[in-house]
Amino acid sequence: MNKIVNINLGGFPFTVDEDAYSSLSIYLDTLKSHFSQSPGYEEIMYDIEARMAELLQEGAPGQGIISSKNLDDAIKIMGTPEDFGAIAQDYKEETFSSSSQSSSTDGGKRINKRLFRDPDDKVISGVCSGLAAYFGWKDPLWVRLIALLLIFTGGVSVIVYLILVLIVPQAKNSADKLAMKGEPINIDTIAKTVKDEFNGIVERGTETISDIGSKKKKIAQGLFRYDQPYPRGFLF
Amino acid sequence: MKLENTKAQMRKGILELCVLSITSKEEMYPSDIIKKLKESKLIVVEGTLYPLLNRLKNSELLTYNWKESNAGPPRKYYSTTEAGLNFLKSLLDTWNELNHAVNESTQTITTK
Repeated sequence: MNKIVNINLGGFPFTVDEDAYSSLSIYLDTLKSHFSQSPGYEEIMYDIEARMAELLQEGAPGQGIISSKNLDDAIKIMGTPEDFGAIAQDYKEETFSSSSQSSSTDGGKRINKRLFRDPDDKVISGVCSGLAAYFGWKDPLWVRLIALLLIFTGGVSVIVYLILVLIVPQAKNSADKLAMKGEPINIDTIAKTVKDEFNGIVERGTETISDIGSKKKKIAQGLFRYDQPYPRGFLF
Repeated sequence: MKLENTKAQMRKGILELCVLSITSKEEMYPSDIIKKLKESKLIVVEGTLYPLLNRLKNSELLTYNWKESNAGPPRKYYSTTEAGLNFLKSLLDTWNELNHAVNESTQTITTK
């Protein structure tokens, strides 16, 4: 048994299998991130979504549920992000004096790292994790400890933190997040970032739901024990 | 990987030429343009066409009409503009020059 999701794609309603929905979200978000740096990006995405809608309607006519197979068939016709990447790479090189991109042979070189606040790993506003990313430290804990130390010993006041929140921009899209970590920005790294984010959201979502489930269970078990004549735990 | 890059560059310039040429004969929507290209053995996926069409439209070499469709959302039918036709002619001239040049230089290789 699978969940289904109702979506609006290109102005048309579709009922999509849960797995197909995740794949479709990742696919469209990857393309969005990829094209977001091009002019006319909204129009391109509109055209692509409209065409995807057409393809899916052909694959599952009537009230059919779109399965992962329908989606894969549609993506095969439209092209995978890798197919886009091969051509679009050249397109970008000629249209922009690119500051953050070189050819695919840079292999892990740190290019143009920029300071951002990290919204995916924040206690307050992501300032410390942004700084940690900028210096290449995986764990923002040390930055937070140093920051607290400086604040409590009076070396640096909270105002400095607030100023940083105001002037350091938040990493909004995948391209920003990659620049924050100093990683090369190309279709492969963007796809990976989008996928990681999506899986992160899904994991956090399922954690909370199962937490609530087990809490309810414990309360119920505590109050109603089959071997006692009346509910226990409050007045009894 | 350099080979892939070079190949991609070659195909990209040619793709523009073919697209402008196809839409100069009759107005078409992207999916049919792909079909026509396939007939001439130039295989591209639909996704690479959309940004290209968008770019050509923004450069006013192409224009489009909306047409309602029974099969789904309304479609954009692209056709080449006046400026597009001139552009196409220049591209064709260059193509003929290059074609000649390639034939000449590769011929000298094989006869050696």
